[in-house]
Amino acid sequence: MRRSSNRKSSAAAGSGSTKAASKEFEKIDHLFNVYADKSSAIIDPEGIEQLCSSLEVDYTDVRILMLAWKMKAQKQGFFTLEEWRTGLKALRADSISKLKKALPELVKEVSRPTDFLDFYSYAFRYCLTEDKQKCIDIESACQLLSLVLGTQFGPQVDKFTEYLKSQSEYKVMNMDQWMGFYRFCNEIPFPSLENYDSDLAWPLILDNFVEWFRENQK
Amino acid sequence: MSGQSKKKPFKIEAYKHRVEVDPKYADRTWAVIEHAINEIYNHNASGLSFEELYRNAYNMVLYKFGERQYNGLVSTVTRHLRDMGKAIESAQGSFLDELNRKWSDHTKSMQMIRDVLMYMDRTYIPTNHKTPVYELGLNLWRDHIIHSAKIQTRLVDMLLEQIHRERMGEVINRGLMRSVTKMLTELGSSVYQEVFEKSFLDVSASFYSGESQQYIEVYNCSNYLRMAEKRINEEVERVSHYLDSKTEPKITAVVEKELVETHMHRLVHMENSGLIPMLVGNMYEDLNCMYNLFKRVPSGLNLIKDVMASHLKETGKQLVTDPDRLKDPVDFIQRLLDMREKYNEIITKSFHNDKAFQNALNASFEYFININNRSPEFISLFVDDALRKGVKGASDDDVDQVLDRVLVLFRYLQEKDVFEKYYKQHLAKRLLSAKSVSEEAERGMILKLKTECGYQFTSKLEGMFNDIKTSQDTMLGFYNSPYGNDMADMPAITVQILTTGSWPTQNINTCILPAEIVIVCEKFKAYYLGTHNGRRLTWQTNMGHADLKATFGKGQKHELNVSTYQMCVLMLFNSADRLTYREIEQATDIPGPDLKRCLQSLACVRGKNVLRKEPMSRDISEDDAFLFNDKFTSKLVKVKIGTVVAQKETEPEKMETRQRVEEDRKPQIEAAIVRVMKSRRVLDHNSIVTEVTNQLQARFLPNPVVIKKRIESLIEREFLERDKADRRLYRYMA
Repeated sequence: MRRSSNRKSSAAAGSGSTKAASKEFEKIDHLFNVYADKSSAIIDPEGIEQLCSSLEVDYTDVRILMLAWKMKAQKQGFFTLEEWRTGLKALRADSISKLKKALPELVKEVSRPTDFLDFYSYAFRYCLTEDKQKCIDIESACQLLSLVLGTQFGPQVDKFTEYLKSQSEYKVMNMDQWMGFYRFCNEIPFPSLENYDSDLAWPLILDNFVEWFRENQK
Repeated sequence: MSGQSKKKPFKIEAYKHRVEVDPKYADRTWAVIEHAINEIYNHNASGLSFEELYRNAYNMVLYKFGERQYNGLVSTVTRHLRDMGKAIESAQGSFLDELNRKWSDHTKSMQMIRDVLMYMDRTYIPTNHKTPVYELGLNLWRDHIIHSAKIQTRLVDMLLEQIHRERMGEVINRGLMRSVTKMLTELGSSVYQEVFEKSFLDVSASFYSGESQQYIEVYNCSNYLRMAEKRINEEVERVSHYLDSKTEPKITAVVEKELVETHMHRLVHMENSGLIPMLVGNMYEDLNCMYNLFKRVPSGLNLIKDVMASHLKETGKQLVTDPDRLKDPVDFIQRLLDMREKYNEIITKSFHNDKAFQNALNASFEYFININNRSPEFISLFVDDALRKGVKGASDDDVDQVLDRVLVLFRYLQEKDVFEKYYKQHLAKRLLSAKSVSEEAERGMILKLKTECGYQFTSKLEGMFNDIKTSQDTMLGFYNSPYGNDMADMPAITVQILTTGSWPTQNINTCILPAEIVIVCEKFKAYYLGTHNGRRLTWQTNMGHADLKATFGKGQKHELNVSTYQMCVLMLFNSADRLTYREIEQATDIPGPDLKRCLQSLACVRGKNVLRKEPMSRDISEDDAFLFNDKFTSKLVKVKIGTVVAQKETEPEKMETRQRVEEDRKPQIEAAIVRVMKSRRVLDHNSIVTEVTNQLQARFLPNPVVIKKRIESLIEREFLERDKADRRLYRYMA
């Protein structure tokens, strides 16, 4: 059986891989250049905004974050060519329409527990803009939580963000606390919180949250 | 003659009859024995021949009439017993007496009968598994006399009546009682128990139950206890005199239960005479009585111990939270010491030094002493006071004893590191103002603390002592050196050089010293730095003192002992008679609060007012002016003005110290966490908290929340991580 890709690669034996690669990525690259900044050859925040409107998806929509995750994008607000290629290839999309269609699939993929965990921790790291930064400020953390966990664990997220905004002890959140909260949502029934035991290794911020929550229940 | 004739051979046999199967033989022989038995019972034994009877009895057995003999014995004895029974039943006033006598008769008779029938006892009876003769006699007595309905009830009633009378104070015939109970025991312990002991115990129980109800209403606690003690002793004595010894524990148990156990709680909590009034009033004997009695019943001692402990906790808590008490720390501690002494006495004198009570005392003290978080500070102030003034009129040993007692209180502290901080501060002040009464005592105290808490606790304190000593040597060296040689016209200086790490941290305040002083200081500094390379000296002007010679208006000379700051202020008045607050401030550069305190002690204290203030108000304001007080008078030539004394801290100072303590604790907690994790590698949260608390408890009790925070901080700094598989575990990162 003739397979078109084979034919192409065998025909271009010499400069085989790059040409094949570039052939493979031709449409993808072309799409990249539509949004990339001409001078830096990187899609910058402006480009992303345009991309979003093309996709008919809001800039702040969680699906963009998921896209970044699929691309394994390193820097918030920017997509490099490599990242673009990685993402779109994985989604098997080389046009806007295909990309649009791939989004629901992507959402489903992310919701799978193992993938979600990876996505969740990625979301945090994605927000660390500075080099040695280890924490994100509470305000951003709250927004991120709503974005990422809002659909799945709405009530918990609402209450937790309410708490975070009302307290002044913590001004930033670190990765340990971030991951802890996800574990919290999964393991502790809400709003009963019945099997929460502060003697187990829950981060202190969650101990305080539970205490605050219980106080406010009365 | 012819041998076939059936003539009886002519034999004379002395002691042996022919074996004849003569039925009448048995009857005849038995009749003899029966007759003997009757005679024995009729007190007519003297006329009998023992030898003959024995022979007859022997023959009965030999010729196989053992059974006949045995049965005969049974029926004969039974018959006699029946007669005896009737006699006993009909006895009027002297029932027990009659019974006893008949018993005596019966046993004597049975002994004789046994002797007579000894051969049967030894041969026929064992072989045929019959009851031996004497025992048979007992059983028959038991069955026909004791268990006879008419006799048994009357017997028991009579016994119990006698006992009741004795309990009510009458004198009874104890010998008779003894014999009767002995009879019962001899009949078998089950007889004694079934017939007598059970009823005895029941009746006693209701007797004492009634008595206790009666007395608990009228007696106060101590009288009741003595009554109970008396009753118990009575019963013990009763048993020893006329009851079986096995009854003793049973009857004492009954009395203990009825008199003591049932009313335990009521007694202890009795108003005005219960345990607490006894404790408060140091009623050693009553307490001892209570202890001994309650020891006999289950959880009696626990009751006393618990009530004592909760009373202690209450009283202690009131003491430590009473705002009036908090005004005088030395008095506060003295009261605690007195309280402890008091209860120590009680436990020694009344409670036999019972360890459980000692522990309860310790636990209670530990509980309330830590309720007041100023206890560490106060204990240090108490010791400071003792070491400054000495204990009133006490010898060295006495001081030692006082310090030992204080150390006991120290042991109860949970926050020993707070104590350490204060002790250091107070010691520093004492050392620098040379205010301790006895260096021996100071050293002694440090030694005690070292034994108690280990070297680390006291190493800095010892460093402080060493600094003082070294400084003395340095001063000698200085004055002998070229630097210090020609100081005839200059003020004499004594320098204490303090090693920074050992002494309590102070903010370094330098002020502007008088010129004369500066010269001398520079000389010393040059000398010191010449001999000690690479060191840095900073003058601690907030400490130190000076002696000034002052001449007042009418020429009176006084020697003023003042602090460094005060010296700086006063020396200004050598060149000016009047200075405003601001001028003084500028000239001396002394920090505000210190300056105010300094001026206040120079101008506003009666008898020490070497300065006059305008206006004459009590407080120092920045618009005040100060004048040299020409008219100053004092009866003393040497006047001491306001040395720095260790005082109870003000609120803000207290907060500051506490904050410093908290800060100091953080690295200690972290070090402990790392130590634990290094050796255990992987551990769950609770275990870490437990281990860390164990490691640190000699110094303070760490707060679990703080421990958790430190763990999270260590996670952030990548000393620890959460285990990937089980997120409840922490893992040490090498």
